[in-house]
Amino acid sequence: MMKTYVLAAMLVVSSAPVLAQAAANQIAVRHKAYEGMGDAFKKIQDELRNSSPNQAVMQANVKTIEDMSRRQYGLFPAGSGPSSGIKTLAKAEIWAQPVKFKAAQDKFAAEAASFARLIAGGDSGKIRDGAKALGGTCKGCHTDFRAEKK
Amino acid sequence: MSATRIAVWDLPIRVFHWLLVILLGFSWWTSENDRMDWHQYSGLAICFLLIFRLLWGVVGSSTARFVNFVRGPSAILQHLGGKGEGGIGHTPLGALSVLSLLMVLAVQVTTGLFAVDVDGLESGPLSRYVSFATGRQAAAIHDISFTILQILVVLHLAAIGFYLFVKRDNLVRPMLSGSREWSGRKVVEMKAAPISRLIISLVISAMIVWFIAKGFQL
Repeated sequence: MMKTYVLAAMLVVSSAPVLAQAAANQIAVRHKAYEGMGDAFKKIQDELRNSSPNQAVMQANVKTIEDMSRRQYGLFPAGSGPSSGIKTLAKAEIWAQPVKFKAAQDKFAAEAASFARLIAGGDSGKIRDGAKALGGTCKGCHTDFRAEKK
Repeated sequence: MSATRIAVWDLPIRVFHWLLVILLGFSWWTSENDRMDWHQYSGLAICFLLIFRLLWGVVGSSTARFVNFVRGPSAILQHLGGKGEGGIGHTPLGALSVLSLLMVLAVQVTTGLFAVDVDGLESGPLSRYVSFATGRQAAAIHDISFTILQILVVLHLAAIGFYLFVKRDNLVRPMLSGSREWSGRKVVEMKAAPISRLIISLVISAMIVWFIAKGFQL
């Protein structure tokens, strides 16, 4: 009985659910990537709370952020927004305003690169300022392109 | 029957209550207006108030003590049926309100301590002990429990309104002055706690909050 249902269901399958599945995967991958970066940035911020932050920990984690600053460009394929019907906080504006979105991404990439340089430099005060600037680019992009959780 | 003035709430309870009102409003404002630095200070101040209230509920004045006003379901039902004892201080139903407010407040403060914002810019003083994902969860609960807190506050205000307009009993005035007019059956007045207990409670609360603010690191 179960098999009959499954077969019937499979026969009904058209390209729409396949696309939805693809979007679901893309959204899941994106979410995981950003969460991973959040974790890395938090680990650096945790170090910066200490009077003498651990250089090795910060360098390992800023690498994740830099990797992400390159990966981000491929994480927003068309159809992976709210129009997919799948739960995502990515706003439709990402695809409606590609130039503005790309500018926000570039801003983050530039700030990530300079943050990595600051960490390599080892001056805690400058690293703290850099963390603020970097977090500012997260925030700036989130304000325009990430929905508030309801 | 002649009316007399009797003591109901001691000064620590009244200061606690009104500071909490002010700080809750301020915390709300700072979160809406992106003043997270002040939001953190306000949250720590509420944490202090909360710890103090719990201590005062054990060693404080008679009307502040949990053991004197927390009642079981049968007492609550009796009270609702108008057959309660009718003393001063929290009623059996009011006790539920106090407990639920304190509980939600505890959830609010605790989740705030561990919360992490999505930009990696702001985080609670204890967030270093949890992962980013857990910190985000804490922030999500912080959000939900604030809504619950708002509902409880509305209920609290509705109860005060009910007493004022239906039972013709102003509950706000005693929370300001500490005493009220009382006519009728003889009741036990509030018994104040010695000032030494107040000082010890304040010092303990301050020490705990100081440790928390430092992230348990000296």
